[in-house]
Amino acid sequence: MNRAQLVIPFFSRLPPIVWALLLTVAFGALYNPQFRTADNAMNVLEQSATLAFLALGQAFVIAGGLIDLSVGQLVGLVTVVACMGFEALPGWGLPVILGCLFLGAVVGAINGTLINHLRMPPLILTFGMLSVLQGCIFMLTDRSVGSSIPAIDFLAHGRVAGIPASLILVILATVIAFYCLQRSTFGWHLLAMGNNATASRKAGLNVRGLTLIAYSVSGFFAAIAGLVLAGRLGTGFPNAGSGLELDSIVAVVLGGTPLKGGRVNVVSVLAAVFFLGTVSNLLNLMQVPTFTQILIKGIIVILAILLERPRWAAAPQ
Amino acid sequence: MGGGAAMSAGTLAKRPLLSRHLLDKAAVWIVLFILLIAAGFVSEAFLKLNYLGNLVRQAAPIGITAVGVTFVMILRGVDLSVGAIVSMSAVICALVMDGKAENLWLAIGVTCVTGSLIGLANGLLIAYGRVSSFILTLGMSIVVYGLVQMGTGGTARGIVSPGFREFLNGRIGNVLPVLAICFLVAVIVGVFIQSQTRFGRNVYHVGANPEAARLAGIPAVQTTVIAYCVSGLFAGLGGIALLARTGVSGTNPGAGMEFDVLAAVILGGTTFAGGRGGVGSTFAGVLVLFIALNLANVAGLPFAAQLTIKGIIIIAASAAHAWIGRSGGDRTE
Repeated sequence: MNRAQLVIPFFSRLPPIVWALLLTVAFGALYNPQFRTADNAMNVLEQSATLAFLALGQAFVIAGGLIDLSVGQLVGLVTVVACMGFEALPGWGLPVILGCLFLGAVVGAINGTLINHLRMPPLILTFGMLSVLQGCIFMLTDRSVGSSIPAIDFLAHGRVAGIPASLILVILATVIAFYCLQRSTFGWHLLAMGNNATASRKAGLNVRGLTLIAYSVSGFFAAIAGLVLAGRLGTGFPNAGSGLELDSIVAVVLGGTPLKGGRVNVVSVLAAVFFLGTVSNLLNLMQVPTFTQILIKGIIVILAILLERPRWAAAPQ
Repeated sequence: MGGGAAMSAGTLAKRPLLSRHLLDKAAVWIVLFILLIAAGFVSEAFLKLNYLGNLVRQAAPIGITAVGVTFVMILRGVDLSVGAIVSMSAVICALVMDGKAENLWLAIGVTCVTGSLIGLANGLLIAYGRVSSFILTLGMSIVVYGLVQMGTGGTARGIVSPGFREFLNGRIGNVLPVLAICFLVAVIVGVFIQSQTRFGRNVYHVGANPEAARLAGIPAVQTTVIAYCVSGLFAGLGGIALLARTGVSGTNPGAGMEFDVLAAVILGGTTFAGGRGGVGSTFAGVLVLFIALNLANVAGLPFAAQLTIKGIIIIAASAAHAWIGRSGGDRTE
């Protein structure tokens, strides 16, 4: 058996986003000498951590046929609250961190509970929550406040044997998300709900419980992302999370998850996060103007949403 | 206002929901009435004609934009790109005017065309791509924002024509602000489109039940594309109204406006349920939103609290309308 027979089936089975990532990396490595340094590669991986956590959380929600638009502002809120907490309570680093994680999960649980009991479309509810959280942030502060602590700095910038600490945490989170979504009963139930919520409810699944858990997980992951971002910025910046909700949705969609739910591939989602990070890094190194980068980002969003189009979609929505 | 088309959609559904339907239509007007009385207790100024005219004038940019978005939302869609289109329109209008009086109508024409073109792009992508309008229009807003920043280099440019702001900010007979009249005209045009044209009726049918509408031979794709065009066109007009109010104030004056527009439309009862609501209710929704925000201002609440209030209004209004729509015994989830 020659090598091609082994190699070609392996590559043809790779999800498209992994191809896109490999091609982008190959292009960058060929044409940009700054891009192909190990230092730059580690930087990209480190900078992608915030979005990686958000996208993993968003994957739980979207897999269940729901959506969470509030995660961006939740990241901002956690960043501000954490930095204010670190400054106000020196020596209480761990309780503040745990408190922030709890805050994220609670906001997620509020989203889930309201969706369950008001029976509202998740889009409107979490869109409203986005505005509510934004208001909460600006009631706390209208400028950068507080400061980070060494432990959080290490999480954002630290290296363990040359590997970014944040990358290790991202991989850990990915493994957990993979197990929960693709290898556990909970994951099967969540995907079943994404496929057909009514049928799942009639089959005896606890649809409300699944919704609640999915949003709590999304909020929890958003809180981790907020803490990592606090370490990267070193201060609580109120607008830190603006627009991140869209980035996370784009990453999940690029990772091959239909917006209607029912299917998910956690590793592809992570590949999509690194793809977005690599593209942004490459555009920076090629000195593409900021405004052109914004345009390119918008086009990627539109292409991603057009490519995910399921053939069985019934109506324009 | 605009009851005809909505009513026929109601009878089509063959449910005894007439009273429920009326309640759904009337809810926002009742809220507006109560809010005005409450505002009257806070300060008599709220009930004076001068204030009411001012209120409608203030609301004009958001209100005009909301008229267009209403059509999209009756169709079960949403248009989040309107904030970016408003910014783009204000920038383009000022650039084309270039401080010359003879460019006025050219500028208005160009602005309307570019707004409609963005709407056309939204409509084509959504109707033929069959994708989530929420995410697609969010993406489109980034594209439009990027284009505007690239075109201007990030700094405010352009000069408005002489007399443009003076005329639109003036008052007829020292009472009725011209911008308020523009808003009212936009509402009347919207109500006319919605109740008197085939397109308006089709919007309700497609929104109420896309599959049934398609089987009945209603051109769903065409209706969708036109609806997004209308939304883009009204956002263009909203941008001109904003330019009249604020002048050349930056490259992104419409930032975040999609929130207010969405809140106003949902308040009016045009929720994502499809086939419900209308331009008349949106008008009332816009007024409720602005009186509520004005009251928050009078009460001394900071801007941040107003953001939270807006979010709560979006959630509460949508939940309330969902509840009214359900309370007749229809328990399908």
